Amino acid sequence: MTETKKEEITKYIVISSDKVLPSDAAMKIYESEFPVTVKETCFGLIVSGAKDDVETLVEKIRQLDKNHIFVKDRGFPPGDERRCRASRGGGPRPGFHFLREEVEMLPAIGAALDELEEKECLMEKSKTKCRLKTSDLEKVIEEELAR
Amino acid sequence: MAKVFIYPINSLILADLVERFGHKPLTMMSQIRGKVTSLSLDSPPINITPEDPKLGLKYAAIEVPAGVRGRMSLIGPLIEQTEAAIIVENPPTDFGCVGCNRTNELTKYLVRSKGVPVLEVKYPESDEEARDFVNEIVAFLESLPKEKPEDEKVEEKESAEKEDKK
Amino acid sequence: MSAEESSLVKIALVSCGSEYAGVQPEFEEAAAKVNAKFIYPEIDVASIDTIGKDFGLEVASGDLRLMMARAKAVVEGTTNAEGVFITTCFRCAEGAIVRNEVRRYIHEHSNIPVISYSFTESTSAGTLLTRLEALTTIVRRRHLLTREVQTGLTAGIDSGSTTTKAVIMRDNKIIGKGWVPTTKVLESAEEAYSIALEEAGVARKEIQAIGTTGYGRFLIGNHLKAQLIQEEITVNSKGAVYLANKQKGNATVIDIGGMDNKAISVQDGIPGMFTMGGICAGASGRFFEMISKRLGVDITELGALAVKGMHENVSMNSYCIVFGTQSLVNSLAKGATPEDVAAAACYSVVEQIYEQQLQEVDVKEPLILVGGSSLIAGVPKALGELLKINVLVPENSHMIGAVGAALLASGFVEE
Repeated sequence: MTETKKEEITKYIVISSDKVLPSDAAMKIYESEFPVTVKETCFGLIVSGAKDDVETLVEKIRQLDKNHIFVKDRGFPPGDERRCRASRGGGPRPGFHFLREEVEMLPAIGAALDELEEKECLMEKSKTKCRLKTSDLEKVIEEELAR
Repeated sequence: MAKVFIYPINSLILADLVERFGHKPLTMMSQIRGKVTSLSLDSPPINITPEDPKLGLKYAAIEVPAGVRGRMSLIGPLIEQTEAAIIVENPPTDFGCVGCNRTNELTKYLVRSKGVPVLEVKYPESDEEARDFVNEIVAFLESLPKEKPEDEKVEEKESAEKEDKK
Repeated sequence: MSAEESSLVKIALVSCGSEYAGVQPEFEEAAAKVNAKFIYPEIDVASIDTIGKDFGLEVASGDLRLMMARAKAVVEGTTNAEGVFITTCFRCAEGAIVRNEVRRYIHEHSNIPVISYSFTESTSAGTLLTRLEALTTIVRRRHLLTREVQTGLTAGIDSGSTTTKAVIMRDNKIIGKGWVPTTKVLESAEEAYSIALEEAGVARKEIQAIGTTGYGRFLIGNHLKAQLIQEEITVNSKGAVYLANKQKGNATVIDIGGMDNKAISVQDGIPGMFTMGGICAGASGRFFEMISKRLGVDITELGALAVKGMHENVSMNSYCIVFGTQSLVNSLAKGATPEDVAAAACYSVVEQIYEQQLQEVDVKEPLILVGGSSLIAGVPKALGELLKINVLVPENSHMIGAVGAALLASGFVEE
């Protein structure tokens, strides 16, 4: 909770998307002007830097596929010796196992968020009483059948 | 915007959903960050010193193991800020900060007895359940006040200043 | 020390989260002092869900399940650990059960030495040091510690805080003993050693190997050019099971010395869990010395006196060496017999050991009582009554350290 003048934060960007690869997201960050540190991991990215920069960037990345890109804070900066596997002497840090479990659940969470968004969209549309576009209907049918 | 306590306190899914729907998740990660980026402390790996379990005495007596009180010294201050909470029952694996079930029992009890809105959901085990899980959480989050009253913002600033002085 | 003996020892840290109790830096500091490094066994995360059933112990805390999974990784050899340090929070029942069972599991399924410990936030590197020193000794001298028979002509010297003991052994027999009060560490050792040599009828130069242990082990060991200089936990465990002829299987060793006391849980002669007192002299030989003085008897007579008395006839409100002695004197003034007072003194000491030391050590039979105070007959009697267990006091029970050292030193005779 220490509020330093120029607060440095680290965030995990976990990518569970068919459209966006971690490398695409990393590229997007490299292309940006923000002076942040990016580390690619098997789940996505770890972004570290000034609070405002990281928050703005993370939001941009999330928008690449917002229902399938997830974000959480990370206490340790990337590659911190206290958490690094090599210097700790093998065995992943304790939070790793839990993250791995959660990552497995992300496709289902993403699908639920998609559905929620569509429902809201449908509700808005139904207010205007317009017909559903056939392409949208097709998508709904496909998803229902895929379940 | 409400400050939402989440359990498990290090959950990616919960922290993400809370933030996604416009609230502030109270997480262990931010507490750990406060610890590990503080240059005045040198007690690796997470800079919990023998002083921390003593801070935990606020939440549990001396007869409660040091590991519980050490964890409570991180979790307790979050519970104090809690305005709403999402508690997930039967989360899958739980290690590290949430690896001690005695701490978890105490944490959940303190949150429930605070009298703030609490949503209790089961960890999903299928796509179907995942949908209900997300729906319930989103409905709960949408029911919470979006805007923070002005006086609380002032309070928050003051408490941040206090923390700095510590 | 040979190159092998000074090499870095990799110790798997199997803990419920010592980093959350503020003790991790103390652990690291103690490990560094004995040239050890902690490692964290890799586990298969999927095994966590089933580990409770696999292991047969189902617990609620994830970190305790992680401990079981890590123990399994150590046993199955997926982790290259030479020793295991198992530690959980003091006063946690769930943790204590897992700690003990994981230790037993590793011991039964591998040859990797294990030491376990329960911590509080005020655990200091000092108390950890003895444990890690014992663990690294077991790793580095595993081969030596399996020795069950003394060979050749060897000497062992135990430099305790109150008395210094020396023995001379030949072909698995004690042939000379010396027991003197510790005044100046080196001089007392010389004296005890000379007495033992004289009784054995051998000359100093005939001795093939010397082992030293106890507080003054380094000073004496370097002075006598000892082949073996080793901490008292491993040496005393070995000495106790050797003298009691219980070298195989489980045993519990309670050592009541002149100034402190120890409770050691032993498996096949190798210590696992142990606790050491030393904060209060009320549970040591010093207390008996004071009581003997007040009763006007020699300390050697106290035991016989105690056996005839009833501790129930004397009320004691404190284990403290000052207040406890005061209570006993007061009860004498009220008409209690010296026999009852002596019995109460013995009961007070074992009760304190029960309440302090045995908190963390499970009491497995046989229970071997050793150390100078074991010679006071009232002590084993009181301990047996309190624990409802048969207490074994081997012959020469006060000599365990010296005997253990002489036995282990014989490993250097053949080399």
